Amino acid sequence: MSAILEIRNLRKQYADGTLALKDVSLRVHRGEFVAVIGSSGAGKSTLLRCINRLVEPSGGSIIVNGVDAVKASGRQIRRLRREVGMIFQQFNLVERVTVLRNVLHGRLGYRNPIAGALGLFSRQEIEEAKNILRRLGLHEQMYKRADELSGGQQQRVGIARALSQKPLIILADEPIASLDPATSETIMQILSAICREDGITCLVNLHQVDVAKRYADRIIGIRQGTVVFDGPPKALDDKAVGKVYGP
Amino acid sequence: MKRSGQLLEDLQKRKKRQIWLAAAGIVLITAWSARETDFSVVSVVRGFGEIVRFIGQDFFPPDFSAFRSLIGPAVDTICISFVAMVVGAVLSLLLSFFAAATTCPYRWLQASVRAVCSVLRNIPALIWALLLVAAYGLGTLVGTLALILTSVGTLTRAYAEILEEIDMGQVEAVRATGASWPQVIAHAVLPQFFPGFVGWSLYKLELNMRASTLIGMVGGGGLGFSIQKGLKLFQFQEVCVAILMVIVLVLTTEFITGKLRERLI
Repeated sequence: MSAILEIRNLRKQYADGTLALKDVSLRVHRGEFVAVIGSSGAGKSTLLRCINRLVEPSGGSIIVNGVDAVKASGRQIRRLRREVGMIFQQFNLVERVTVLRNVLHGRLGYRNPIAGALGLFSRQEIEEAKNILRRLGLHEQMYKRADELSGGQQQRVGIARALSQKPLIILADEPIASLDPATSETIMQILSAICREDGITCLVNLHQVDVAKRYADRIIGIRQGTVVFDGPPKALDDKAVGKVYGP
Repeated sequence: MKRSGQLLEDLQKRKKRQIWLAAAGIVLITAWSARETDFSVVSVVRGFGEIVRFIGQDFFPPDFSAFRSLIGPAVDTICISFVAMVVGAVLSLLLSFFAAATTCPYRWLQASVRAVCSVLRNIPALIWALLLVAAYGLGTLVGTLALILTSVGTLTRAYAEILEEIDMGQVEAVRATGASWPQVIAHAVLPQFFPGFVGWSLYKLELNMRASTLIGMVGGGGLGFSIQKGLKLFQFQEVCVAILMVIVLVLTTEFITGKLRERLI
């Protein structure tokens, strides 16, 4: 198995002096479904956002499919981002436009700046977006405004937007933290099923240890900006959980 | 327990004293201003009869034969307000990106754009018109320019505030797809910006309609100019028609912009 993502000695210090990531190194293989756990402020979100450069790393390297994200130029960053889908805790859909348009946003990285800005997409792209929505059971909501949907539906649109990028990797930042338990379960099932079917590598930040154990192939525990656990769900016993969340 | 009760009582006493001081202050300042400006209830009442006589006998009945000759100036008023709003909105749209903390690349640039707009906004359109008449002479151009200046002042500030309040999560999500800067602006910023943009622009159209009559009086053209002219020539019954037209125009604009706002937002 080849590594699709390799992080070496990643460090991030924010302008206010907070050291969010101290020295993180890890390798993720193609098709792995990885859960990242840790308490709030441990650095999970920063880690994910360094991978697609929404946050500027302070040091180290992040090799995504052969390209170093830390050294990437503006154009390279955009190229990298379109191969890396992202799903957010607050869904972050553009609320005032239709569901279909939100899914098409996933194609922006592939269009030239002007055509993309004008919202011109090819017939094939529109057809594919509709197919993705059908697959997620949202074809009836296609022409509704995004903010008319329930939280669970909005998160499915978030997944659809990521899928329309045809991503190699999906980064999910607390995808179920704003949802009720039943909806959370559905979203996790959809996300893991789709990633497995399409062979997409996935990194999911999670609060809930039990959810992580049920869905992930591998769990990474982060505490105060360092990796304190890295192994299969079976190896995450009470002692290991204690190490991640601490007394 | 006893000490905190004592403290509370002291606090209440002090509060009461402050209220009485403030009330006394307001009364004193009012009395002094009234004396300085020769304001007295007696003269107001005495003048009231004169106003009623003036309006009742000189203004009424309105001379509707003047209506035809006032259509031209009325159209001028509408055009002045509309053009000023559109040009003002376009200029403000460009400027607002430099006046908003979220989109402006440099602090000093943001501060200077805001300062300029503050000056444009806080000098009344009437004063701008008076200054511009000196440069461009009487006419609708002066009215239009004066209103453009205040429109830029008001709208840039309003648009910038909308830009500062947009949900950055949506912007981040579109950025994360690999979208370039113009794409992010078009797909994540503009949809959030649009309702406020329309609302403020239409409101400014209403304000312009009102201000344009005032500006007309100092030589900015339109209905205001006709009113001023009529007053000087003692053609009060024609002026009456012009004033009625102003009222109808302002109310119609308010009605139409209200309906548009409902439809678009």
